[in-house]
Amino acid sequence: MNLLLGQILNGIATGMLYALMGLGLSLITGVLNIPNFAHGALFAVGAYLLVSSANLVGNFWVALLVAPLGVALLGLIIEYAGVRRLYAAGHDYQLLFTFGLALILNELIIVIWGPVGISHLPPAILRGGVDLGFTFYPKYRLFVMGMAGLLVLATWLFLEKTRYGAVMRAGIENKEMVSLLGIDIHRLFTVAFGIGAFLAGIAGALTAPIRGLSPGMGVDMLGIAFVVVALGGLGNLLGAIAAGLLIGIAQAVVAAYWTEASTAVIFAVMALVLLIRPQGMFGIR
Amino acid sequence: MKKETIVLLVSIIALPFVVRPAIATEIWIFAIFGLGLNLLLGYTGLLSFGQSTFFGSAAYVAGWLLKNYGINVFFALGIGVGVGALSALLVGYLCVQRSGLYFIMLTFALNQLFYFIAYQWTTVTGGEDGMPGIPRPDFLGLNFKDPLLYYAFVSLLFLLSLWLMKRIVESPLGRILQAIRENEVRAEAVGYHVPRFKLLAFVIGGAFSGLAGVLYAMLFGIVPLEAISFVFSGNVVFATLIGGSGSLYGPIIGSFVFIWLSESMSVMWARWPLLLGVAFVIVVLFFRGGVVEAWSRLGEKVRLWRSSRQKT
Repeated sequence: MNLLLGQILNGIATGMLYALMGLGLSLITGVLNIPNFAHGALFAVGAYLLVSSANLVGNFWVALLVAPLGVALLGLIIEYAGVRRLYAAGHDYQLLFTFGLALILNELIIVIWGPVGISHLPPAILRGGVDLGFTFYPKYRLFVMGMAGLLVLATWLFLEKTRYGAVMRAGIENKEMVSLLGIDIHRLFTVAFGIGAFLAGIAGALTAPIRGLSPGMGVDMLGIAFVVVALGGLGNLLGAIAAGLLIGIAQAVVAAYWTEASTAVIFAVMALVLLIRPQGMFGIR
Repeated sequence: MKKETIVLLVSIIALPFVVRPAIATEIWIFAIFGLGLNLLLGYTGLLSFGQSTFFGSAAYVAGWLLKNYGINVFFALGIGVGVGALSALLVGYLCVQRSGLYFIMLTFALNQLFYFIAYQWTTVTGGEDGMPGIPRPDFLGLNFKDPLLYYAFVSLLFLLSLWLMKRIVESPLGRILQAIRENEVRAEAVGYHVPRFKLLAFVIGGAFSGLAGVLYAMLFGIVPLEAISFVFSGNVVFATLIGGSGSLYGPIIGSFVFIWLSESMSVMWARWPLLLGVAFVIVVLFFRGGVVEAWSRLGEKVRLWRSSRQKT
């Protein structure tokens, strides 16, 4: 029983990270109306940037800020120099472009950091665990839960309570209308890509001390982010959290009893949900 | 005979003299794979990023039977086509209910499901090491271990697939699929059950992918894990787009270019997917419309340049 509770906590921690990934992807995909196959690669770059900057500066907290900002900057460049030229091009070419970027980033990671996995310790203050009564639980995972929760809350506040957030939500609903209202739609696109990339970057940075780093981490996460969006709906914040937690917990619980199936179960759960509700968990198309 | 047919026949005969027979064979296998995708991408307007699901599943199942039960070649091909179609039915059923970007993401996510099953089910698939030792049994006294004979066999199957695909896209079914591509709402309004036709296109495309998968497994004697991964799904999309998804022959040209490109790049550098990524980006930014269009644009430029020289 304690094992199960511990695994559910693990599931919540990873589920919140999945929710962050899905949320970022959902902003990019929803606002720009492109399939972003580079989202997983942005996640991986975030993780590797964290490790390198933490080693360079010697401070985890600075690195936790630098890594996602670096990824956000990369996102802004990608949108400004590439994606922007492809809005009229059709999904096939947009996909090929972002997929090409993912290949480039993935291979650059191997060239720069090597093909072998790297492990990275959490900062001294977050090492070890705390006694939660039913289980002894690692501090760092609790920190990730809280941090991811804060980020989701911040994104929610931005989308729901600020003017620009409202514009962004309107952009997901109806782009033509937004641009007719005299809003600079291109800037909106760039900002959305930047925020989405930031969320992917920080999800990667937070993941690094939990799972370690390997060049394949990006692609694995890309599929998971797709699952979150497919189940939660584009631009649906609560949907992203619910879907993230669902697959995170399912994965963690299955991992306790049948480790080999723990990744496949994410996609199996998605297939199951779609079998019952083809329109996703909240019915948003 | 038409011009295209002559060009095809000549290239089939000439190819094994230009490149190694294995590469030449791979080109036609990949072309069959591309034909299957293009029914979805070019004719129905469905961008599937999960075609390796059907390719890989067929390769694994038929490979397993070839290896452990010594089934004959034609039975293996039949199994491959069947497994390809069946897996496409399962995946397609979930995917066709959503459209646009959701559809693309679902094909990828379900591809990942099959990938992780193959990755972990090591007792059958060999996991990361792949499934080796797949034989290429003789049939009716034909020794398919002879690379050229196997090449001839694959080319024949390719021509058959092309003929069949031509029949399909020119049939009423093909027209309906094109109507869905042009205007889904209108096709629905005219009375066609759009999801059912999309699913049918999926299943047919899956059957072609399955055929290609088995031929691939027999060609190299191994099913690598990549065969069921996003890598192969991406490759076939790229090959089809680079050839031009607008025509029946696009995927064939694309398969030529792609296999040649990847074969020559992979011997150059272990990190060749980086170059491939750069190639994707360049093609998208500068050569949209594929080789066929780039060729005609080049012709246009040359003509303009000539006429401007004549004036001066």
